[in-house]
This record gives sequence, C-alpha cells and structure tokens, in this order.
Amino acid sequence: MKHIKTLNTKNLKNTMKKGGCGECQTSCQSACKTSCTVGNQSCENK
Amino acid sequence: MVHQYKNNGYNIVLDVNSGAIHVVDDLVYDVIALLCENASLDVSQYISDRTFENDLNNHLKGHYSREEIKEAIRDIKELVEDESLFTKDIYQEYIMDFKKRKTVVKALCLHIAHDCNLACKYCFAEEGEYHGKRAIMSYEVGKKALDFLIANSGNRKNLEVDFFGGEPLMNWQVVKDLVIYGREQEVIHDKKFRFTLTTNGVLLNEDILEFANQEMSNIVLSIDGRPEVHDYMRPFRNGKGSYELIIPKFIKTAERRNQTNYYVRGTFTHHNLDFSNDVLHLADLGFKQISVEPVVSADEEEYAIKKEDIPQIYEEYDKLAKEMIRREKEGNGFNFFHFMIDLEGGPCVAKRLSGCGSGTEYLAVTPWGDLYPCHQFVGEEGFLMGNVEEGVINTEIRDEFKLCNVYAKDKCKNCFARFYCSGGCAANSYKFHGSITDAYDVGCELQRKRIECAIMIKAALAE
Repeated sequence: MKHIKTLNTKNLKNTMKKGGCGECQTSCQSACKTSCTVGNQSCENK
Repeated sequence: MVHQYKNNGYNIVLDVNSGAIHVVDDLVYDVIALLCENASLDVSQYISDRTFENDLNNHLKGHYSREEIKEAIRDIKELVEDESLFTKDIYQEYIMDFKKRKTVVKALCLHIAHDCNLACKYCFAEEGEYHGKRAIMSYEVGKKALDFLIANSGNRKNLEVDFFGGEPLMNWQVVKDLVIYGREQEVIHDKKFRFTLTTNGVLLNEDILEFANQEMSNIVLSIDGRPEVHDYMRPFRNGKGSYELIIPKFIKTAERRNQTNYYVRGTFTHHNLDFSNDVLHLADLGFKQISVEPVVSADEEEYAIKKEDIPQIYEEYDKLAKEMIRREKEGNGFNFFHFMIDLEGGPCVAKRLSGCGSGTEYLAVTPWGDLYPCHQFVGEEGFLMGNVEEGVINTEIRDEFKLCNVYAKDKCKNCFARFYCSGGCAANSYKFHGSITDAYDVGCELQRKRIECAIMIKAALAE
C-alpha cells in the first residue's frame, strides 16, 4: 500500500480461540503496583 | 472504533477492536477523520455511497489529486475488508462469560513487614503501617499463605508471590525460609513459584543479593531519580536522604542480574513534573529497566498530581519518547515500563479486557494472615475477604471483583486505551470515586498519553 504502513498483523479476535488460560503474569506483580498495564505483557501460551 | 493521532511527525491510526496499528500519510489521515465523524454509519456502505464522495470533496478542500484520493480510498477499503480498520467490538459477551468462570488464585502479595526504615512522604502504606500497627509476618503465617495459594490454584502451574511491605528486608529471614519452603512444595504439587521482591535497598547486602539473584525472578528497586528528587520524598525517619546509601547497591544489583529481570522503580509527583530528567538520570547511571510512575494521592496533598499538571506531563512523556528513540538508534537504548508495548506477542483479549485480577486471582496477605483484594486495599476493613487459614470467607467481595471488567465501567466504553490498561486500577477507582467500577480520571489521561507515545516509538523504530 502506498499510503498506509501497518505495524502489526495480529488480530485480537483470533486470541479468543485459545486465550484466557491465565498462565501469564499478574499485571500488578511486574513493577507498577499503582496502575494497571497489560499491553506490555507477554503471552505464555503461544 | 478507531483512534487516530499525530505525534512526532507520525500519523497513527489505531483500530481499537482488532488491535491493528497503521502509520498513514496525511491524505489517509484526513479521510479516516471523515469516516470517524460518521462512525455511527456502516463504514463499508458509507464509503461506497455518493454522499461520501460529496462529503469527502468538502472535507479535503482540493488539497489532493483525484488519483491520489482514489488510491487512498482503495487502501482504506482493503483494510476494512481485511478486518483491520473499523472493526466491531464483539467481545462483551465473551468477557462477561469469561469473568463468570470459576476463578483460581494465582498470585499473592505477601506483606512481609508492615514496617519501614524510610519515611517516604507519598507512601500509600503510611510508612509501611497501612493504617494499623507495625507488624512482621511470621514464618507460620507465610507458610499458610503459600499452602493457601497452592490449594486454591487449580490447574494453574505458574504461581506468583511478591515479597512486599513496608520493607520486606526488615524480615529477610522469613523471606528466605518461605522461598525454601516454596521450592519444596512446588516439586510436591507440580507448581512453579515465581518469587519477586520489592525493596527500598537500605538493608540490601551481599548475602541478600546472592540469594535474591538465585531465587527472585524479578526485583523491584525503589528509587525516584535525581538525588535531590529522591531525597526529598524518600528520607529516613530522621529526615536524612537515602539516595547515597542505596545507589551503589542498586547499580551492583542491576549489573549482577545482567541488566534484566529487575526494575528501578520511581514515583514522580507535583514536585518533579520534569520527571523525564529523573528517568534519564537513571538511564545515565546505566540502568536498562526503568519504571517511573505518577504518584496517586488525594488532591489535598501538596505533592499530588492535579488536573492542571497534565499538559506538562504530556510534554515530558513526548520528550522522553523522542530521547528514547534517539538512544535506541544509537545502540544505547533502555526500557521504560510504561512505554513497553508488545504489538505482536502481547496478551490475549481475555487478559486485556478482564481487569487485573485483584480480589480473585490476585490477593494481598497481611502480616497476620488476613486476605484483601490487593495491597492497596489493605487496611480498608470493608474489604477484608478472609484469612490464610479459612480462605476467602467474604465471597460477596470476591464476586464484586469478579464482575469488574472493562464492560462494567462506563468510562471505558468509548476509550481507545481499554485494550492496554484493562480498565485501570480498581483501588484507584475506589479511592477517588468510592466504587471499583469507576475510573481514576487523571490516571486515565496519563495512561492514554503513554500508550500514544509507546506506539509512536514503535512506528519510529520500524522505519
């Protein structure tokens, strides 16, 4: 595409199939303890 | 839902529901702006409509050639068909069902010591005491907490235990003994404990460091940044600053952990709204894993971040983002926790929309074994959930937290950031509005800005 560059190809919809296993880290255990940040967390069920 | 913004010369389009992110030229940006104005219509239909052509001509005011416009529309249509632009939110029912499932406990925040050797002015734990008396957790209580976690974790293999305080190093022997106990138990029960430690560093020594480096999957080292900033907010009880004592220990810790699996973590306040300088101070000291976060406190506090501080904080985040790009390109980059975003391998949609797990998967344990929804609720007697011997007794609180998710919060419904913050912090919402299904508004504004910066950094580094 001439006018658009897409940064990521992942579609969140597809994660409904295998998602929700809960093995990933609890968001508050990482560093924050005062906010809720999940966008930077890794999936452990790839 | 589409969110688009300009930052640092990039036009960024975020298709919220699919998670797709596009960097576009001015023409496409302008066309999408028109489509957003008409987002209540069926976009695929509207784009093929005659009205669209008229609207577009009025909107673009002859700035682009017909051929260019045709091309741009072709590109946009392709994305819509490919389900990466103007996609629908199809997750509400899925998340509601997901939240109703039987939950297990997978993480505990152990309040190893309700006591502290510092007297930080912004401490939500009130110098470690959490609205109560000084106390330390006994080995017996800690053991029961780990037993409770194992017994309530169902099939979950990875279990997390954070040694928190107050200052956990004031009760280090119990921490060590609990790690040893945990390692025995994980073999018996086929579990894997991930221990983490949050410390102010005052008592950190060679023995502690050696043990922690073997056993702790993450260490959070509390430091606010520049010496004067740190010492002003994080003094000893006699008023003396703590920077000088802790900094060499933190540098050593980071090096010994190969600059990974740790964070130097600071808090910025109204007094250092130029906090990008604190982040860069830490980076200049060689730290590669940095988190500096806004204080959350009542407006009456002199150090509180207020609504009128937001424009300056935005400028600081922008400044920091640009400097991080520059350093990354020079091969001298570092991670800033709130700008970290995983566009390809990030969490599933269930994780993104279902909240942090407080009160259900994640609980805090007081030194005497009481259970609370999270560390920030400790001391709020209305949120006492049970104890490590009897388990969760107040199931009403658990059920309230269980249903707390993005779709339970009105403020999240039209917010593009909801897939990145999971609806925000329940404790902050409660502190400012008396309800866990509201949102802490200043926090939301800052969260949105951080996400915009984080995505811009990705766009810049993808060039």
